[in-house]
Amino acid sequence: MLGKLLKHEFRATGRTMLPVFAAVVVLTVLANFSIRMIENDMGTMLNILFGLVIAAFFICILAATIMTIVMMVKRFYTNYLKDEGYLMHTLPVSVHELVWSKMIVSVVWFLATFLLIWLVIILTVLFQTGTNLAEIFAQLPSWEEIRAAMAEIGVRESELWLMLLESLLLTIVGGLFTCLHFYAAMSLGHMFSKDKILLSVVFFVGISFVLSLASTGYNVMRVQNFENLLNAVDSARDGLRFVRTMLHEGLIVELVESAALYVATTLSLKKGLNLA
Amino acid sequence: MAILECIGLSKRFGKVQALEEINLKVEPGRVIGLLGPNGSGKTTLIKLANGLLTPSQGEILIDGMAPGRESKAIVSYLSDKEYLPDWMSARQLMDFFEDFYEDFDRARAEEMLRHLGIDETMRIKQMSKGTREKVQLILVMSRQAKLYLLDEPIGGVDPATRDYILDTIIRNYNPSAAVIISTHLIADVEQVLDEVIFIQNGHLLLQTTVDEIREEQGKSVDQYFREVFKC
Repeated sequence: MLGKLLKHEFRATGRTMLPVFAAVVVLTVLANFSIRMIENDMGTMLNILFGLVIAAFFICILAATIMTIVMMVKRFYTNYLKDEGYLMHTLPVSVHELVWSKMIVSVVWFLATFLLIWLVIILTVLFQTGTNLAEIFAQLPSWEEIRAAMAEIGVRESELWLMLLESLLLTIVGGLFTCLHFYAAMSLGHMFSKDKILLSVVFFVGISFVLSLASTGYNVMRVQNFENLLNAVDSARDGLRFVRTMLHEGLIVELVESAALYVATTLSLKKGLNLA
Repeated sequence: MAILECIGLSKRFGKVQALEEINLKVEPGRVIGLLGPNGSGKTTLIKLANGLLTPSQGEILIDGMAPGRESKAIVSYLSDKEYLPDWMSARQLMDFFEDFYEDFDRARAEEMLRHLGIDETMRIKQMSKGTREKVQLILVMSRQAKLYLLDEPIGGVDPATRDYILDTIIRNYNPSAAVIISTHLIADVEQVLDEVIFIQNGHLLLQTTVDEIREEQGKSVDQYFREVFKC
């Protein structure tokens, strides 16, 4: 059933996100054209017009970023905690499937938005500086070269791959954590009969406070360990391993916090659901 | 086995006791009126049966199971709220129901929509309130469920639509299933009921057959209700 929930969630969110993505692409083309036109200086009025198009491009990029967060919050709120909840919570699916479907779709949109924005920025820079993409690729070191350079400082290929994988994992877990922070606050706030939104905000702030307290406490406990590790670094290879250790620590903290928020979300939806 | 059973069921919201010590059994093949004044606990009982609320005490069983994903697969529920996503068309909603409910009969839903002249491609937000209620009811009654829980299905519609809705309920429900209709518009539903459950202030007042009320009290359900719940 998770697959079906995902299908319908992509359909529901795609209605908003795909036009936003299309707007980003169209404004990228228009902004690039405008930059060229301003360079040609075709008169003040036209320059102002082209300037506005470029401003719209940056606003659109910002809006796309904000939209992914707004969409994540709004879908959970309207679909699970308002009247649509009567439909969704009576489907023959588990609370876990309901929560995971929203998280997965939100994280996919986070990543897609992130990639799209980087892509349009890189393409704009390349186009405006007149750089040929093929030239750039030709200048990039090949995988063989990277591997050889790494081997020279004693880093195995598998370690490189693991680090890439761990960075990706940290990004994904970071996305899940962001979703769960909002989901837990909203689910807890909506267990009450009155002031549901106000209480959701209170829970959001409360959760932020508790989590930052917990992670600060953890870091204080581990600081000696980190210091020892850092002091022991005396080669590029050690440096890379230190970065990986920090990555692991970050990942563990984020996983533990996410797990706590996940339990809070699913328990309050399961035991404390109180649709108005 | 009873399709719905409440054993010492209580639900409390803070200081408010919404339901207290409810014990009842509903057998398959019956149309039951869940009757009571506003705020008597009808919606709370239906929400508990759907797993939308958790009991404070006691238990509620659907076909012997506590509410969960298995029970939800055999319960067809009509809320008193407008709960369909308004950006979806009737056709998209049929896709949705077909995906999640194995017992959804699409041909039947399409036939009912056609009969009522509702355009499948029209979005919920473009429909009138009455049409939205009809679409909700068509989707719910197009399932071959074991238990239908209909919360105020005729609340906001005109008398002609009311007749169609009741007719739809009677014509479409699976004969081995039970239908529970919660309402305070008793005169309108009386004709289709086999049994009634009266609740007041969260307490079960009575569960009996319509025939017994007529024979023993010499009254219609509507008259008897007015007598029992006299203000």
